Amino acid sequence: MHKEFVVATFDSPDDLISAVRLMRAERFRIYDVHSPFPVHGLDEAMGVRRSRLPWATLLFGVAGLLVAIGFQFYANVLDWSLNVGGKPDNSTLAFVPITFELTVLFGGLGTVAALFLRARLFPGRREELAGLGVTHDHFAVVLRKRDQTFDVSRAKMLLTEAGAERFEEMEADL
Amino acid sequence: MDNHQPGSQTQLGCKKATAAQASASIVSPQQLVQITQPSSGDGLDWKTLEQLRSFPGGQVELSSRAVTTTEKLAQTSRRDFLAMMGFTMAAAGLAGCRAPVQNALPLLTGSDDIIPGVANYYATTCGGCSSSCSLVVKQRDGRPIKIEGNTGSTIFGGGTCATGQATVLSLYDDARLREPMWMGKPAYWEDVDRQVLQFLHRYEPRDLRIALLTSTLTSPSTRAIVADWQQRYPKFKHVSWDSISYSALLDASYKSFGQRAIPHYRFDKARVIVALDADFLGTWLSPVEFARQYAKARKTEAGRVLHVQIEPGFSVTGSNADVRLVVASSQMMPVAAALLARVAIKAGYLNLPDISTPVDVRQLDAIADELWKHRGESLVVSGVNDLLLQTTVNTLNLLLRNIDQTVELNSPSLQRSGTDVAMHNLIGEMERGDIHAIMLYGVNPAYDFPDQERFVAALKQVPLSISFSDRLDETSSQVHAICPDHHFLESWGDAEPVESHFSLSQPLIAPLFGTRAAQDSLLAWLDVLPPSYYSYLREFWRKNVFPRHKERLDFEAFWEQSLRDGVSVASSSVTRPTRVHEDWKSAVRTILENVEKSPSPMREGYELHLYESVAMREGKHANNPWLQELPDPVSKITWGNYAAVAPALAKNLGVRDGDIVRVKSKRGQLELPAFVQPGQEPRTISIALGYGRTHAGKAGNNVGVNVSPLVESMDGTRSYALQQIGIEKTGRSQRLASTQSDMSMEGRPLVLETTLQEMADTEHNDQEDLPNVWAERLIGEHSWGMAIDLNACTGCSACVVACQAENNVPVVGVSEVTRNRIMHWVRLDRYYAGSEDNPRSIHQPMMCQHCQHAPCETVCPVLATTTSSEGLNQQVYNRCIGTRYCANNCPYKVRRFNWFQYSQNPEYDYTMESDLGRMVLNPDVAVRSRGVIEKCSMCIQRIQLAKNMALQGRRNLADGDIQTACQQVCPTQAITFGDLKNPESRVSKMLRDQRRFQVLAELGVKPNVSYLKKIRNTLETT
Amino acid sequence: MSTLGITQEPPQSKRTALQVLPPPRWIDGKPSVQRVTEEIVRPLEQWPGKEWWMCFAPSAGALALFLIAVNYTFMKGIGLWGLNNSVGWAFAITNFVFWVGIGHAGTLISAILLLFRQQWRTSINRSAEAMTIFAVICAAQFPLIHVGRPWMVFFIFPYPNQRGPLWVNFRSPLVWDVFAINTYFIISLVFWYLGMIPDLASLRDRAGTGIRKKIFRILSLGWNGSHRTWSRYEIVSLVLAGLATPLVLSVHSVVSMDFATSVVPGWHTTIFPPYFVAGAIYSGFGMVLMLLIITRSTMNLQSYITMRHLDMMAKVLLLTGSIVSYAYATEFFAAWYTGNLYERYHFINRATGPYAWCFYLMVLCNVITPQTLWFKKTRSSVAFLFLVSILVNIGMWFERFVIIVVSLHRAFLPSSWNMFKPTIWDVSILIGSFGLFFTCFLVFIRVLPMIAMWEVKAAIAQEGHQAASTHHADRELRKEVVNA
Repeated sequence: MHKEFVVATFDSPDDLISAVRLMRAERFRIYDVHSPFPVHGLDEAMGVRRSRLPWATLLFGVAGLLVAIGFQFYANVLDWSLNVGGKPDNSTLAFVPITFELTVLFGGLGTVAALFLRARLFPGRREELAGLGVTHDHFAVVLRKRDQTFDVSRAKMLLTEAGAERFEEMEADL
Repeated sequence: MDNHQPGSQTQLGCKKATAAQASASIVSPQQLVQITQPSSGDGLDWKTLEQLRSFPGGQVELSSRAVTTTEKLAQTSRRDFLAMMGFTMAAAGLAGCRAPVQNALPLLTGSDDIIPGVANYYATTCGGCSSSCSLVVKQRDGRPIKIEGNTGSTIFGGGTCATGQATVLSLYDDARLREPMWMGKPAYWEDVDRQVLQFLHRYEPRDLRIALLTSTLTSPSTRAIVADWQQRYPKFKHVSWDSISYSALLDASYKSFGQRAIPHYRFDKARVIVALDADFLGTWLSPVEFARQYAKARKTEAGRVLHVQIEPGFSVTGSNADVRLVVASSQMMPVAAALLARVAIKAGYLNLPDISTPVDVRQLDAIADELWKHRGESLVVSGVNDLLLQTTVNTLNLLLRNIDQTVELNSPSLQRSGTDVAMHNLIGEMERGDIHAIMLYGVNPAYDFPDQERFVAALKQVPLSISFSDRLDETSSQVHAICPDHHFLESWGDAEPVESHFSLSQPLIAPLFGTRAAQDSLLAWLDVLPPSYYSYLREFWRKNVFPRHKERLDFEAFWEQSLRDGVSVASSSVTRPTRVHEDWKSAVRTILENVEKSPSPMREGYELHLYESVAMREGKHANNPWLQELPDPVSKITWGNYAAVAPALAKNLGVRDGDIVRVKSKRGQLELPAFVQPGQEPRTISIALGYGRTHAGKAGNNVGVNVSPLVESMDGTRSYALQQIGIEKTGRSQRLASTQSDMSMEGRPLVLETTLQEMADTEHNDQEDLPNVWAERLIGEHSWGMAIDLNACTGCSACVVACQAENNVPVVGVSEVTRNRIMHWVRLDRYYAGSEDNPRSIHQPMMCQHCQHAPCETVCPVLATTTSSEGLNQQVYNRCIGTRYCANNCPYKVRRFNWFQYSQNPEYDYTMESDLGRMVLNPDVAVRSRGVIEKCSMCIQRIQLAKNMALQGRRNLADGDIQTACQQVCPTQAITFGDLKNPESRVSKMLRDQRRFQVLAELGVKPNVSYLKKIRNTLETT
Repeated sequence: MSTLGITQEPPQSKRTALQVLPPPRWIDGKPSVQRVTEEIVRPLEQWPGKEWWMCFAPSAGALALFLIAVNYTFMKGIGLWGLNNSVGWAFAITNFVFWVGIGHAGTLISAILLLFRQQWRTSINRSAEAMTIFAVICAAQFPLIHVGRPWMVFFIFPYPNQRGPLWVNFRSPLVWDVFAINTYFIISLVFWYLGMIPDLASLRDRAGTGIRKKIFRILSLGWNGSHRTWSRYEIVSLVLAGLATPLVLSVHSVVSMDFATSVVPGWHTTIFPPYFVAGAIYSGFGMVLMLLIITRSTMNLQSYITMRHLDMMAKVLLLTGSIVSYAYATEFFAAWYTGNLYERYHFINRATGPYAWCFYLMVLCNVITPQTLWFKKTRSSVAFLFLVSILVNIGMWFERFVIIVVSLHRAFLPSSWNMFKPTIWDVSILIGSFGLFFTCFLVFIRVLPMIAMWEVKAAIAQEGHQAASTHHADRELRKEVVNA
């Protein structure tokens, strides 16, 4: 579902940050910024909240832990109790390494999966670029034209004076 | 088929026969019940099985048609094989019948006494060597697959030797001839018989000079046949000649005791044993019998038995001795004389000259004291083929009053009767062309006669030469006619190893090939009708053996009894007055004078000491891969012989193990690898006979070197101790196929020894169990364990072959053994202690210890090895993925890995490749495939069988119902297997013995196998 | 306003971050962001040069040897090797442990150094991680080769089956290995791929049309550099780094337990886990050093993989090498101090037995060699570092050989003491595994950006930024001086 955007392209991260600051000071809501690398200080400038993805890690990690312990206990104690070297069925200590590994495995994979879900990254998705070179050497500030009240000319004026190289309006699914 | 003998047994037998033939049988319910239930509580005791199964009596002779079918056997498909199974079943089914059956039909419906999958056990007599031990053979689906000792035998007991164990494999040897040969071409029996008879009829019976050259004939009935020939042809000449000569021993006893027979030695009655180069526990005369007696005598409760071994090389007997004196062969006589002098002085013959010997005088005095102290219960023996020495030994035994105590003359041993001189003369006659025809039976002079060329040339002078050899060997490939003899498991026969101790042989399987018993051939050419050795045998027993059993009236019953028991002891026929020297002093004088005037041995040059190896013996079984791959008990070398040199000599020559050396004697020279043997006489080189066969078969050909050409025969008598020997290194080298590289225990407490004194001082066991880390797991109804008495174990290695036969352990060949990949489940670890010039040696059977806290199990990723509910450490072959982690983690290194596909792999063409060789496999044990670990299972198949028998008998498993293969075969009963949960079982009792210890117990692996310390006695020298 | 560049004056900064000391520079020659992309992508878009082929040809040859040797072994059985009843493990397991060890540097660099905010990792972490992946792939071959019947190996996985209860033995360190190695491989792979997505996106946008575009489009998952994604992305990277760090330490600990939990004298030691981990990092860095020295010269990336990088890695080698040496010493001390008969004998045998030469070669490479890195002079000689990196790898291979074979060939019962003698097949498979490894790596540097472009760009931006502020601060200072 396509939306209308106003995109201004910069070629220096410093100009970018100052532009973002300026626009927010001017009560413009920054829809997003596209850059070839994570520009530091942009989070505060844009006011992006810290991601809650680590909670996913915890969730999946604990799941892995429980699965590992449960499965090993089930296999060696409940389902198939054998005399292995005279050791007790529930050799808990011997279960530790696998438990640890599965915890890490589940945690790791879960986190990445969550990221892909949240960021809508998946194979075959067509990229929606805010402009040429945003994966190379350019930086783009993206404002969304939510309704007619959005003052394009003012935005353009402000951004240009903030050092924008190019300014365009586009319809895309960013 | 005719059968006219009365008696219920006969009826039963004939019902079987008809059942087998008409392939329709009415089975009475009683019989069924009998079959499924053992009638007594003895579980697998073969006697009870005998009672409920038939006594195989039926001899099956093959018509020429049948021959052709059997010919195909070597390349049979599975289908043909099954057909053969039926065939052999029929043979066994016909067992009950008295008279020979002319043709056997496939068994379409099973007979009463053959239950597929249930083994029968039949008593017979071993044909492995002329010791003629009594056997019980396991027959499974008509195939003999395992040989066991006959517990009923008063002489041999339940044990056998390694060779005896291996003979079952020789039955399936595809180098055996499939049919007779005439002039080097396959022929039919009829033609061969016609040809032979034509030849014989060319002469007047009184003119025919025909010779029969045999090895010792322990079979009285065969001797009778020979006598018949003697009668028919006055100029008939029977020469008995053994590969390894005992002539001097025989002559000496004639000289000393007036009878040319080997006395029956009784090691079990001896408290002091002095053996001069007599390997009586390994190869000499009757090792199984002697080992049994020896162990009996040395039992701890029996008290102290001193064993002094005087020998140049390191024999397995020497490795058991309390005192081992290293003496060169040339010095053997002086040592014996010196002993004689000392004993004579004690006996009251004063002012005798002392003989100078290399042995420490105080030791000689001490030995003489011991001997004298135990007059009447001491024993001096010698294996040296030297008349004077043997006479000395006899005189010693006389002076020590051992005659009829430890040296029985009334019932002499008939196990060796060969005469070297007779052979000498025979060859002379052959060369002169005085012999018209010669028959060779059980001999291979073209291989082991010192002058092979001379013999072969002489043989060419004989117009007709016939061999009964079972294969195209060195000799039979030189003769006109080969009439292949049965394997002893296929044939009837009898034996009299010790006078009036008879034993019978009966066929376990219909002849696999178109072979014919040698006796049948002999009878056939005598035109005895019908030419059936079987009937002849029966008649012989009826006339000669049966009368000597007063207690029985009915011959049939006696015959059945004897067949079932395999042995029958007759009341001694005649008690000879043994002509004991009255004037012993003159005897002593002559001996000592002889010794003094005999030239002192040359010190220049080295000495050569030729001996029989435990594995290969005289070389008859060279094509038996089990024996080729059996490590020598002392040197641990397989697949070939070697020149054993002392460490000192090796240093001088600069040779190491495997360096090829050239050994030169007056009679020639040969090259073979050297082996540095601790305890070897410094100037003596020992080499084993019996190797270097050229016509034995694929496994035996050109393995090792044939040293018999070096044997010297002085006036006919062969001497195996040679002087003026040269040795030099060739610079070439090869790797010896040894299974144990390291010599000593490296100061580790692995095998423990003790003395009677020490035992008296400390009555409690010093090794206590370690505490448990975790709660002990519950073991089920039984907990199987084993106790091995190192004091009884002589290291004879019979258990190794027995295990191999029982558990289908593959033969891997010399290259794999060289790479330390031998597959034996039980190995005998041999450790030396003390100086390398004359170390003590100790043997330790090492197999899976079935640990309760097994390190191998914890590390197996796939649970392929676990502890069973009965405390056994199990290996699950089809779960094993072959990480070999268990093998690494096994402290005892008893786990074996299948590095290649050893079975059904043309590259390992030993036993499991040909359809014939596969017939020896035990169907109860899986043949392992490539990439899996295998190891001792404590013969779990035997455990299961015994449990089933008990179940069917509705009784509890009794102690002793289960015997592992290694336990069963052990002549000294060193191994005891049983239930550790039953405090009254023999094994539990042994575990309470104060000598008990466990190997590496400090690791806390809790092995279920325990050992009992070996007891060493010492010789106090003043 | 100018672009980020080396020539122009840095832009006036509005903020004044007073910072007197210049921060360390990890990229030589202050290339512009454009040049970063250009230079790093260049090798991917042009036909490989002579040097590359000279490296690739022998590697591919060795790989062929590997395939032949392994397949012949599978046909005939591992009896082809020099193993015997006493020495059941030798080359295969040695190679396994060796390659797993190599695999440790990558994740260490990308994870632990990320947590420690080590800037210098940026230009080497991508290739280091790739090396990890390939090393673990090599390592993973050996359990399969080792058992000789790879078609049976699935037994080792606890898969639901209809054979009635049939599971694996969770007490067996080999099963732990299976889980550890697989987890390590998966996490490393994910981490590596995740780090590559933005670069894949820029490759996609460089590619015109056609197959390259399609492939990169699929691989880059539609990445468009949205900052909201970037910020999540960085969090996730940190989380993964946090997970991977204990994982790195655990993997070789678990591998070491294959030995430590057994009863074999010389294996049964509690010091093994830390000792093995140190050794792994040591060998891993050795290998990274070797690879980077090769690549920076063959791909002319000296300005990205600078002498300072090599210097840092040399220091890591010095540290871990010293830890390993200490572990060796401790082993001998423990053997003597415990007084255990078998343990003592083992170490006497290790230093004086038939395999003593392996032991001394190991000491030369792992104890003496790293100590030469105390000096700036040695650390700044590429040739010398290259030599060191080779020695380190030889030494670490022999360390595993000594631990495995020398322990096994003379264990408890002298009756079963045997020697191990490698055969042509043992050696072929060892050499072949290097072929597999180098072939993978050389292909990797052809088809994927071997330096994390976005990270380098970020670093440059950072440096430029800081440089700017530093420059500003200097001028303020100078003013004050003048006024005074």
